[in-house]
Amino acid sequence: MDEIKIKELWQASNDKMEQSLSLIQKNTEDITKMKVQTLLSSMKPIKIFTIVIGLLWVGLGSVILINLFMNAFNQVSLFFLFSASIQVFLTAIALVIYVYQLVLIHQIDISGPILETQEKLTRLKSSTLWVTRFLFLQLPVWTTFYLSEGMFKKENFLLLLIQVSMTLLLTLAAIWLFVNIKYENKDKKWFQLIFNGKEWDPVMKSIKLFKELKAFKGQ
Amino acid sequence: MQTKEQNQLFQALIEEHKGILYKVARTYCQDAEDRRDLIQEIMIQVWQSFHRYDDKFKISTWLYRISINVAISFYRKKSIRQGHNMPLNEQILQIKEDEKQDKDLHLNMLDQFISDLNDLDKALILLYLEDKSHSDIADILGITAGHVGTKVGRIKNKLKQRFSQQNTD
Repeated sequence: MDEIKIKELWQASNDKMEQSLSLIQKNTEDITKMKVQTLLSSMKPIKIFTIVIGLLWVGLGSVILINLFMNAFNQVSLFFLFSASIQVFLTAIALVIYVYQLVLIHQIDISGPILETQEKLTRLKSSTLWVTRFLFLQLPVWTTFYLSEGMFKKENFLLLLIQVSMTLLLTLAAIWLFVNIKYENKDKKWFQLIFNGKEWDPVMKSIKLFKELKAFKGQ
Repeated sequence: MQTKEQNQLFQALIEEHKGILYKVARTYCQDAEDRRDLIQEIMIQVWQSFHRYDDKFKISTWLYRISINVAISFYRKKSIRQGHNMPLNEQILQIKEDEKQDKDLHLNMLDQFISDLNDLDKALILLYLEDKSHSDIADILGITAGHVGTKVGRIKNKLKQRFSQQNTD
């Protein structure tokens, strides 16, 4: 079957279908009255809310920590000081990603060229995976912020062993997750356990599409 | 401000170009119900972008861009109307499709070929089958006309191979 015949086949089947398409005018009118948000702009409020809360957390945390570093360095537990600093720093990175997402949402024009629009959309959705990676990196500091130097002198050996093991285990887990949370591992059981749920489907689909976009442009 | 004139223009636009919406939906959705949902979502996005239409582009180019972008990115089965503030009671488009229609063997093959492609190649084959010029395809996809030539050439070869394989079977 040659090229022309294939095109004719396509056209003929569509012509038949187009003739049977009938618009229901009332519903077309309804669309013009709908107070809908575009699907992208509907993402804005939750992002803005997260950014505001994140800014308060990071801002307040930074002020307190800087104050402690400058004025009470010798009076505060160094475990607390460094654990809290790491936590605030990692939250600040996640916050930067959220701001980047908000900028992308603002820039995306659904009537733009397909490749450009899809590239921005896939960047937007797949960046969510980066937020998760940075948030996992915080895991070990939740086992160290309450420690004090005194505990190492007074506590019994067994408790210290449990404490060190926990911190070590979570540090290794956090680093391992940071390195291994990537699309290539999407079929692994541990990955599916973490990213279980429909809310992650668009993220996975976007990363797949991002790879297709790169291949499409590269060919 | 939404004027009555704008509403009428929108309705006329959809009426005149409903074929584009249908063909994009046909390319990306196998199921008739999914197709209707997708067409509805495309119409909502067209209305949302209506005031931003730039007349330096052909209206068909603009509609293809929105329709394909929506088809690739936003379409999630059963989640569309639920996500909007005012659900529509009825389908916007009545598509009198006979699910059991006797399709031509070649048409089945063509549909199967399209459904096996990835989302970007689906856009390319749709525009190629619609006999769009390389320059129009380039405008819609956002690549150079030269690149379109190479890509269309490849997809044509794949299509020919599929049809010739079937004929020899």
